[in-house]
Amino acid sequence: MNNWILIIVLALMTYSSRVMGLELMSGRNIRPSFRLYLNYVPIAIISALVIKEIFTVENGRLTFSPVVFFACLLAALIMKKSSNLLLSILSGILFGVGLRFFL
Amino acid sequence: MEKNSIKINRQNSVRAGILDSLPLAIAVFAYGLSYGVMAAQAGFTLLQAVMMSALVFSGSIQLVAVSMIISGIQFMSILLVAFLLNLRNLLYGAALAEGLSQSGRWKWLLATAVSDESLVLGTSHFKKQGPDHIYFAALALTFFLPWILAAWLGFMLGGSINPQTYGLDLAFPVTFMVILVPALADRPGLATCLAGVLVALLMEYVFPKSGLTIIVGGLTAPLIGVYLSKKKLLIEKDPTIISATTLDKEEPIDE
Repeated sequence: MNNWILIIVLALMTYSSRVMGLELMSGRNIRPSFRLYLNYVPIAIISALVIKEIFTVENGRLTFSPVVFFACLLAALIMKKSSNLLLSILSGILFGVGLRFFL
Repeated sequence: MEKNSIKINRQNSVRAGILDSLPLAIAVFAYGLSYGVMAAQAGFTLLQAVMMSALVFSGSIQLVAVSMIISGIQFMSILLVAFLLNLRNLLYGAALAEGLSQSGRWKWLLATAVSDESLVLGTSHFKKQGPDHIYFAALALTFFLPWILAAWLGFMLGGSINPQTYGLDLAFPVTFMVILVPALADRPGLATCLAGVLVALLMEYVFPKSGLTIIVGGLTAPLIGVYLSKKKLLIEKDPTIISATTLDKEEPIDE
């Protein structure tokens, strides 16, 4: 029962935040500086999300994950060279799995 | 004639939406499998696991929620972390609003698909093609179906597989890393990324359990990108700024 309440509350919270973002800003004249700012928001957030996977908090201390780091690095290098999203993702994951096997 | 052209445009938008999101949909599927496995471990029923994916449709919220349940964390704490994670949707919605400005009432439905992935693909497409809600609807559906299927399959596999053995846990960071690469081609983008990394590390080091890392990084790091972009624009508009600066620097050498 508690799980259902959690699911419904999370769904409402998530949907409201999405609609508020779309509705509050839709049709409004957005200042060029703010528009420029929004262009860089995804880069900042994705960087933070990736770094949180590379450095995880264990027992209150930051722990470096070489597997995640090298998997991401290889995927990024392949993406830079090939511009092939799928090839880069699969290579990174397979490399990470292989690395785990040896580490 | 005009109707035909609209039809062709719609077909193109649908095709582009599906093709652009297909590689990421595979990553979404892998990520969804992880969620399904964890939902089973968290004591969800199959219906709850699948309905959560259908109603919440957010990888970060769902994975954080089920992992917190597994860790025995209180209901209110889960909601607080979800609230903080959801703050970024305000920014995402703002970034996508213009691209979906012609969707009318459909916007209420399309809003359910505002996410990290749809933001990256949507903003990139809108920048080139202008507002295109059909494209967004196509990519939303391309993400939604594998997300639901993966939740079901992950749950069925349950605790019988370890996500780490198959690298399912790597799908998320690797996918986002790959998405980042094209955005790092110019200095403002690269500087924003580095600032995001530094702020995130600092937040994780100083406030490891605050749940604010992504919000603070997402709000502060873009400022460096804006600053460098404006500086670049000023130099392009008035090249004398750079030549004056260069002369200032070169004067002592000439002397």
